[in-house]
Amino acid sequence: MSLLDLKVYEDVTVADVLVVIVVVVFATIIAKIATLNLRRVLADKMKRDQLELLTKIVYWSIIIIALLSVAPLLGLNLSGLLVAGGIAGIVIGFASQSVVANLVSGIFLMIERPVKLGDQVEVGGVSGFIEDINIMSTIVRTYDGLYVRIPNEKVFTSNIVNYTGNVARRFEYKIGIRYNDDADKAVEIIKEVVENHPFVLKYPKPDVFVEDLGDNAVIISVRMWAPATEWFAVKMELLYKIKKELEKNGIEIPFPQRVVWFANELGLKR
Amino acid sequence: MYGVYELQNFHVKIKDLELGIFEENGIKIYRRDDLKKVIVADSGRVVVNPVEPVNLPKNITRYLMVELDEPIVMEPKNSEKVTLTFPIEVAVILAGKKSLEVLDVFSFVKPKYALYGDPRNGVICRYWKSEVSGEEEDFVKGKLEVEINNSSGEWVEIGKLVFDVYGMKIYYGESVVAFARANVISEKVAETEFVDKRAGKKSIELYLARRIPVVKKKFVMEWGFV
Repeated sequence: MSLLDLKVYEDVTVADVLVVIVVVVFATIIAKIATLNLRRVLADKMKRDQLELLTKIVYWSIIIIALLSVAPLLGLNLSGLLVAGGIAGIVIGFASQSVVANLVSGIFLMIERPVKLGDQVEVGGVSGFIEDINIMSTIVRTYDGLYVRIPNEKVFTSNIVNYTGNVARRFEYKIGIRYNDDADKAVEIIKEVVENHPFVLKYPKPDVFVEDLGDNAVIISVRMWAPATEWFAVKMELLYKIKKELEKNGIEIPFPQRVVWFANELGLKR
Repeated sequence: MYGVYELQNFHVKIKDLELGIFEENGIKIYRRDDLKKVIVADSGRVVVNPVEPVNLPKNITRYLMVELDEPIVMEPKNSEKVTLTFPIEVAVILAGKKSLEVLDVFSFVKPKYALYGDPRNGVICRYWKSEVSGEEEDFVKGKLEVEINNSSGEWVEIGKLVFDVYGMKIYYGESVVAFARANVISEKVAETEFVDKRAGKKSIELYLARRIPVVKKKFVMEWGFV
């Protein structure tokens, strides 16, 4: 009797265990090669979140098929496993409620999909890009480049602000000009600057109007829509452009000022 | 000028713009205005042709919205062929062994974008305003021949059309031209698509290479067309 025929438990021999190990290792290698090639071929043809989901499905499908195919070698009865799995699930559920809560939240997040990979979000006080959505947690890369892992239960129960969830979004500037400047001319200049920017959307139309007669300035409100992926770049770029264009046309942004009237003539004359 | 050039002698003037591959200190350099790119290739060809107008200043969408300066009012069950225009973007493409590389895309038209539909479900489109029976202009705007078919039982007013540029075939030669079809299904819904009718030399399609070919090229305008 050779070493390979040695029984580990019941009818399972060392050879069976070795076969299982080889199959699992082989399946892992195949899965890695398959996902690598999928990424290579589809990287520029699919959205990143869809590609991530596809590669995860392919990877785990290969591993699970391999495990199921070698399960009988280890003496595992699949129907029995399901029953055992159900019981084990209940036990684990009671033992580790937060883990199960995260798991269930993760599944619901994957179904509801309030966020997807690459979105800019704010979840539970953390702002940044969604890096990964796992079954137990969601990974956010903050704008400072920090790695933040948020348990899915927290993501699921928090208010989620998805800055790039819609295709377009609006932003606003409030620009003050002097009272003696021509507000109509200022509005025209601002409209022209806004019109000339490619990513300030034609529709919905931008709004430029005198919103308030403030203490120190006439306040012009500039509201515009931009593609959600571009809005911040547009916002950074346009404000200073508007300021420069107004100044070029003799319209200035005033400093705070106050006109003081004295009841009696000041005794400053000598 | 549109066409295919040998890498070594590529030097063209389009309007007042000069572009070409020049040799400086033994290095090949592609130059257009301030843009410079070093080319490492012994042989190959350079293709200059109009491409789908969704690349500038950067590619953020695959949809083109053409707004008509005068809306078309059409009776039920009628069809009409109209000549609109579309903005031209010119691509300079390196054609090597079995593969293409986009070297540069430029345009003489200022790009502008618009939202079609609502911010949640709508689409960002490259915006273009066109005359009905529009004239083409060299390197600025090409002809877009659209066959509009009102298959609904209602009078409809068409003020804009949105197309998916995937599958947009642009032909150049005597004129730059593309062909499309718009089928009005109801007062609010129409189906649009680019169609292929041979009319000269066909441009290399940039968008075809970027997507998986199963993507549907028909676009359903479900937010109206006024």
